[in-house]
Amino acid sequence: MAEFLQHCANAMILGGTYALLGIGLTLIFGIMRVVNFTHGELYTFGAYMAFMLAGLFAFNFFVSLVLAALLGVALGALIERVLLRPLRGADIDTTMLVMIGAGIALQASEQLVWGGVAKSVPNPFPTAPLTIGPVSIGPIRLFVLGVAVLLLIAFYGLINRTRLGMAMRATFQDPDTAALMGVNIRVMYTMTFALGSGLAAIAGALLGPIFIVYPTMGDLVALKAFAIVILGGLGNIPGAVIGGFVLAFVEEFGAGYVSSGYRDAMGFLLIIAVLIVRPRGLFAAKERIG
Amino acid sequence: MLRVDGISVRYGRIPALRRVSLEVGEGELVTLIGANGAGKTTTLRAISGLLPLAEGSITFDGRSIANAPPRTILDLGIAHCPEGRRVFPQLSVRENLEMGAYRRRDRAGVAADMERMFQRFPRLLERLGQAAGTLSGGEQQMLAIARALMSRPRLVLFDEPSLGLAPNLVEQTFAIVSDIRREGTTVLMVEQNAYAALEMCDRAYLLEGGAVMEHGTGRAMLANDHIQRAYLGG
Repeated sequence: MAEFLQHCANAMILGGTYALLGIGLTLIFGIMRVVNFTHGELYTFGAYMAFMLAGLFAFNFFVSLVLAALLGVALGALIERVLLRPLRGADIDTTMLVMIGAGIALQASEQLVWGGVAKSVPNPFPTAPLTIGPVSIGPIRLFVLGVAVLLLIAFYGLINRTRLGMAMRATFQDPDTAALMGVNIRVMYTMTFALGSGLAAIAGALLGPIFIVYPTMGDLVALKAFAIVILGGLGNIPGAVIGGFVLAFVEEFGAGYVSSGYRDAMGFLLIIAVLIVRPRGLFAAKERIG
Repeated sequence: MLRVDGISVRYGRIPALRRVSLEVGEGELVTLIGANGAGKTTTLRAISGLLPLAEGSITFDGRSIANAPPRTILDLGIAHCPEGRRVFPQLSVRENLEMGAYRRRDRAGVAADMERMFQRFPRLLERLGQAAGTLSGGEQQMLAIARALMSRPRLVLFDEPSLGLAPNLVEQTFAIVSDIRREGTTVLMVEQNAYAALEMCDRAYLLEGGAVMEHGTGRAMLANDHIQRAYLGG
């Protein structure tokens, strides 16, 4: 029983960051329809920025987190402005190839700047785990979960309860008609991509003190983010959150009770199983016709 | 009020409009008739700023709006109710109406206008929280019209408002367009149903192959031999 609860706690914490990655990508891939191969690199970028700010410059950890997220937003805006805006209306193959190239270029740049040796971000919390009944959790992990949950709520509110969020949804349902309503759709495209990128960057920055930071850390994460988005149904924000937690639970329990060597495989097996039964994901957004 | 002067539009290298000129005076109801592919929708989309002009000019109240972004043209008072209704399917009815008022900052005025839309279209009030994509075709058309009116336009461009509607709804839709004009809003309407369009309009333009072939008052156009043969089945 104690072991079971410990796995649950671990899965919740992992699920929070998966959910952040998932909603960032569901915005870009599910709603903007850009097959975004830079998502994992933005995650890596966020982690390196946290390392640079909190580790090298010895900034306050929390300030570093915020700055890393903002830098991620800026990098995302730059990618959209320079690479994607000229390709609006181009076919998906062209966009996909450009994004693969951008992903490779970003990863190579990380390697060039930081070298291949893994870094770690200093942990601002006490390292002694908190013990709650049979479960013990490092304080940093609780902090990560708390921030993730707050961001998920804030983000849901932004998309569903604000004028900006409404304009974003309208833009991706029907760009021409949104333009007729007076929406500056170029700005919406840039902001949406930047926001999704910022979410990936903060996920990387949050996990910096827990895992190590290295240039290819984003590869597996990007694959998992795609899996989460597909699992939750393309463009479905609550679906991506649930998908993130489902993936985390399956990985954690698969690793705990079946074999830890198959941790990463478990999630993908789940996705194959789900897609056989529900090809549009667990919670495909209803009414897709435009 | 609106003056379109010799505009041409191309899709790639294919000309879609060739030196189209037309005028809409304050308070008028003007219609554009013609067959599929004659350039009616293209004309409206060029006026709204969705398509770049290859040549020609468009002025509204004497101000050039050629190649201005759609939001600027909307701000000057031109709303566009697009072909095929084009409601935002996953937005609620209320959100669709709010999108119509997207550029407005006067919250109280927007709320009052929304009330007026509910009086005019009570079905929208019943469906307020529903996703617009789940409405019937007739309800979607009412929503699209209400959404266009939410910007408080002085000129509304209607693109085939009767398309795909049941006969009783077609009549109802034309009645609404006439009402809107009677209340003082100028209307430029594209319509394939030439007979109905010519009956209700002040003046009309006939487009063929991307160019204006005939124009005149509705009555004169109804009596025109060519129009009778080709468009009125006479």
